Amino acid sequence: MHIKPSPSRVVFNIINGILLTIVTLLGVIPFIHLLAVSLSSNSAAVAGQVSLWPVEFTWDAYIYLSQKVEFFRSLWVSVQRVFIGTILSMLLVILTAYPLSRETTVFKQRTAYVWFFVITMFFGGGLIPTYMVIRSTGLLDTIWALVIPGALNVWNMVMLLNFFRNTPKDLDEAALMDGAGHLSLLFRIYLPISLPAIATILLFTIIGHWNAWFDGILYMNSPDNYPLQTYLSTLISTSNRESISVDELASMASYGEKTLRTAQIFMGALPIMAVYPFLQQYFVKGITVGSVKG
Amino acid sequence: MNKRTFKQLIVGTLLLSLALSVIAGCASKPDASSDTGSKSIASDIGTDPMWKYPETVKVTQVIGHGKAEDPKTPSDITPATNAYYQKLKEMLNIEVEYLWMVPSDQYEQKFSLAVASGDLPDLMTIGFEQYEKFKDEDQLEDLSEAYEKYASPDLKAYVEADGGKTLDMFREDGKLLALPSFEDPFMSAQIMWLRKDWLEKLNLEVPKTLEDLEKVAEAFTTQDPDGNGKADTYGLALHKDLISWGFDARGFFYTMGAYPKAWIKDKDGNLVAGETKPETKAALERLNQWYSKGLLDKEFAFKDMDKVVEDIVAGKVGIAFGEWWYPGWPLNMNRDQDPNADWVAAVLPSFNGKEGETLVPSQRMSRIYVVRKGYEHPEAVIKMANFYTEMQKKEYAEDVKAENGYVYNWYDPRVYNPYDFEQAFTEVNAALDNKQEEIDSVNPTSVQAFKSSKKYLSGEGDNSDWGIYMRSIAKDGGWGITRTLRDKAYVVDEFYGTATETMTEKKTSLNKMTDELFTKIIMGSTPSSEFDKYVESWKKLGGQDITDEVNEWYKNK
Amino acid sequence: MSNTAQTQPATVVKPRSSKRVSTFPLHLMLIPGVIVTLIYAYGPMFGLVMAFQKYVPTKGFLGSKWVGFKNFEYIFHMPDFYQVLWNTLIIAVLKIIFGLLVPLILALLLQEVAKNWIVRTIQTSVFLPYFLSWTILAGVIFEIFSLNGPVNSLIASMGSDPIMFMGDKNWFRGILIGSDVWKGMGYNMILYLAAIIGINPNLYEAAEIDGAGRWKQVIHITLPGIAPIIVLLATLSLGSVLNAGFEQILLLYNPLVYESADVIDTLVYRMGLIDQQFSPAAAFGLFKSVVSVVLVSISYYMAYRFTNYRIF
Repeated sequence: MHIKPSPSRVVFNIINGILLTIVTLLGVIPFIHLLAVSLSSNSAAVAGQVSLWPVEFTWDAYIYLSQKVEFFRSLWVSVQRVFIGTILSMLLVILTAYPLSRETTVFKQRTAYVWFFVITMFFGGGLIPTYMVIRSTGLLDTIWALVIPGALNVWNMVMLLNFFRNTPKDLDEAALMDGAGHLSLLFRIYLPISLPAIATILLFTIIGHWNAWFDGILYMNSPDNYPLQTYLSTLISTSNRESISVDELASMASYGEKTLRTAQIFMGALPIMAVYPFLQQYFVKGITVGSVKG
Repeated sequence: MNKRTFKQLIVGTLLLSLALSVIAGCASKPDASSDTGSKSIASDIGTDPMWKYPETVKVTQVIGHGKAEDPKTPSDITPATNAYYQKLKEMLNIEVEYLWMVPSDQYEQKFSLAVASGDLPDLMTIGFEQYEKFKDEDQLEDLSEAYEKYASPDLKAYVEADGGKTLDMFREDGKLLALPSFEDPFMSAQIMWLRKDWLEKLNLEVPKTLEDLEKVAEAFTTQDPDGNGKADTYGLALHKDLISWGFDARGFFYTMGAYPKAWIKDKDGNLVAGETKPETKAALERLNQWYSKGLLDKEFAFKDMDKVVEDIVAGKVGIAFGEWWYPGWPLNMNRDQDPNADWVAAVLPSFNGKEGETLVPSQRMSRIYVVRKGYEHPEAVIKMANFYTEMQKKEYAEDVKAENGYVYNWYDPRVYNPYDFEQAFTEVNAALDNKQEEIDSVNPTSVQAFKSSKKYLSGEGDNSDWGIYMRSIAKDGGWGITRTLRDKAYVVDEFYGTATETMTEKKTSLNKMTDELFTKIIMGSTPSSEFDKYVESWKKLGGQDITDEVNEWYKNK
Repeated sequence: MSNTAQTQPATVVKPRSSKRVSTFPLHLMLIPGVIVTLIYAYGPMFGLVMAFQKYVPTKGFLGSKWVGFKNFEYIFHMPDFYQVLWNTLIIAVLKIIFGLLVPLILALLLQEVAKNWIVRTIQTSVFLPYFLSWTILAGVIFEIFSLNGPVNSLIASMGSDPIMFMGDKNWFRGILIGSDVWKGMGYNMILYLAAIIGINPNLYEAAEIDGAGRWKQVIHITLPGIAPIIVLLATLSLGSVLNAGFEQILLLYNPLVYESADVIDTLVYRMGLIDQQFSPAAAFGLFKSVVSVVLVSISYYMAYRFTNYRIF
């Protein structure tokens, strides 16, 4: 298709280039700005003099951050959460998706089960009843409150279910001929050929756990147990509190914290920004493998 | 597996989860329903205020907290390791366990979740509306026997310092449902604080009228009072909660004869809500002028109190309306940052030839302590209050210090002598006038204030000594100015009952509407003509009912 | 649910043959998922009875008084009700429309870029916000749109007055919608790109021979080629017109913009967790769930009719 471009084509290419450049920058510039602010002196940051390059460059915010126990403690909670939560979720999703990917002829109750799970995507008991159940099952204030209740992500399960269903059925036949059971069918045949889908779900699960914050606020009884994003949310929220007590007033002795706040937000985003470009292809592959977003 | 067993499986598990959720709903309220009358307290519990339990008694609490107030507190102290509680365990064998501890701005939702799931701690610190709800739902333990028998004489003296008026508010059918902690109502009186060094630098007087104040605010905004060559200062400190606790707009409103969110007497003797009066509208219009002139922080509506305190400490703002205690915090921190900084207190300026009259509440309630119904040891809570009072005495002064991990603002229940600051003022000033080296007082506030005053006046004190002196002792300082207001004209917030029925239900949303409109008028995004419409809808959406209820209460009180 | 199980007469489990494997292991594999779902998804649903009660925590669900539809009457008569409903709809619908259109345009533009590495770079950058939490993004948005933030510096340098984006009820909605599109556009863009790649290249060659320009090719080949996925995405989003984005709004809003940005979820949250109006909050939540389920059913039915797409 390499024909000499027409003049109008050249004009289009230029405009298109500019447009796409802007869009590209939109994705990145905010974070560069954040980084620049966090590396500037607090007075410059508060005065709004910082755009994309640090003003009165200083590592102060990061040095202070490196001594901030709360940050690292919640980072550790997040790491645990991602680790435990992901293993649990993947296990449940795979174990559930496989039986439900069997045809009705093989597994009669399949449809009933599917409805059983799918209904929960649209109907929920609401915040307070959920809290009560989590409390009465003894998960409150433990890491399990963050990983068990949502362990079976129905969307991911349906994605995987569909992927399993689209694998050629002659594989089953062959394996069953060999006298293999369902478990070995799942682990020896289905999992290996579903790696792209599994990888995508894995990544979404990891990201989901890393990014979740609201459950931390509801279910944790002490900031010591807040995951990182919950901790960060307490830094930035413009809190809708109604009244201020004497004690609160007395406690508000912090000042000069703008650069520290931005430094913490930047550090909260960093792990994902660092890893994501390398994993992007898996996401792209996974998304386009015939699944739709949830 | 055939379909029948499958169905059984489904039905069985559904039943299981039903059972679980019922448990979720009920498990948490152990004896509340079975416990009909008030049971009496075991007679073998010693009535000596500091009697030590032979076996550990556990009290659960919850807390929404910020940092420890005193910067000298060791950094690894948390509410759970607060030395007060260790001492409490040691002396009375009462063990406090926190069911949860969260940052203060998460407290509200955490508490609601606890209420919804019936997971209440034994001891709670609550507000009026919550008190009404708990009372109606019969969730509160009767404290009358515990209070009568176990409260120490000191504690009783404090709680009944007003002749029992406050305590009676919490009596219901012969039961005492709460232990209130209140303070001298004049501690809420409004004065104003100005940067003295800025005034001097710009050759300005302490303003006597609102017009003068406006000129000062303009000078502070435009004439570079901090001399750094940048236009980075502004006139009046303000934040998003216009009528709240400190650095807010109350002083400004009162100056102009407006008393929003207060119940004041009109000329016929009926109570009216101050936020609906024309004076409030006028004050809002005036604030809007100040806002457009740049005398207020353009973004005040997004800033909470810690942001405005930041500005004060960093020397960005030179005027703050508010209460008497500012020098103790945060003005002392401003002096830490800038050794030249100095502050002066003044009474509210006059407006249209009329002296500014501050509002004084009928009651200055600081905390309401209640005990969960069914808790076995209500007397332990009273003893905890005894303990706190005891710890303030001179003999413990060497031990009970922030450096040793004692964090008073994380300890509940604590009840103060409502008039200890007044007492300290007179005692310390008398001692200073007599050139005494020691003060002879049983009031811990006096002892501490005397020490700091001595240090400051001899020139060797630090800024926190300056703060204590300027706050409590100096005749032209915070309390020194405030106490003179007793002899001037002031307006009383006449309503001091617990929340009325409609208040409990509607007050939050009415307040929200009020805050929203006021902020918008000040910022100019809504014309002040909307005020009249607001008054109409305020009345319609429950305000009128509340007004009727409040007047009903007023007639019968 | 049980109807489906009854469609066939009960059969005695046949002795295992070489071809027929027992379904028992399948049930076994489902047990963990079923248990977790029963407890943590179905368990809380019993809490919905609250919506028909005057729920008093001490009395529990069994002891509280039944009030029928009183709570629903209460919420429908709340002064904020219609405002909040309208806010929810307008914010959600605009989010859906722009969330579909902007990535589409981007995908079409990106399609015209020849160099592969450029496409990759753009894609990476556009996709980035999708992976970050609203906590992080809210921090970024506050920073950028504050009065002395970079956007206002830019406005000031052009000689205009600074704008208080986060406190202005008109701007704020725009920020909600804009930031949502910004966060999500990478995802749909990739879906579109994949669909575009799936179009038979012969069609383009044929069009070129016929003398059709690039523009015509887009109109007549590319767009029809990806029409199914557009229709699919559009119908599927019907189910979320009452979801205006709880976390995003909760983190970003403030009382100044309640008028234009308070949505059902945030109001329910405040009613339940700030004002302790448990029953009305539950009623409002239930109202929303029911409407959502109806919409979701319609959308899935339509998706099936129009694009033959089935989610399971």
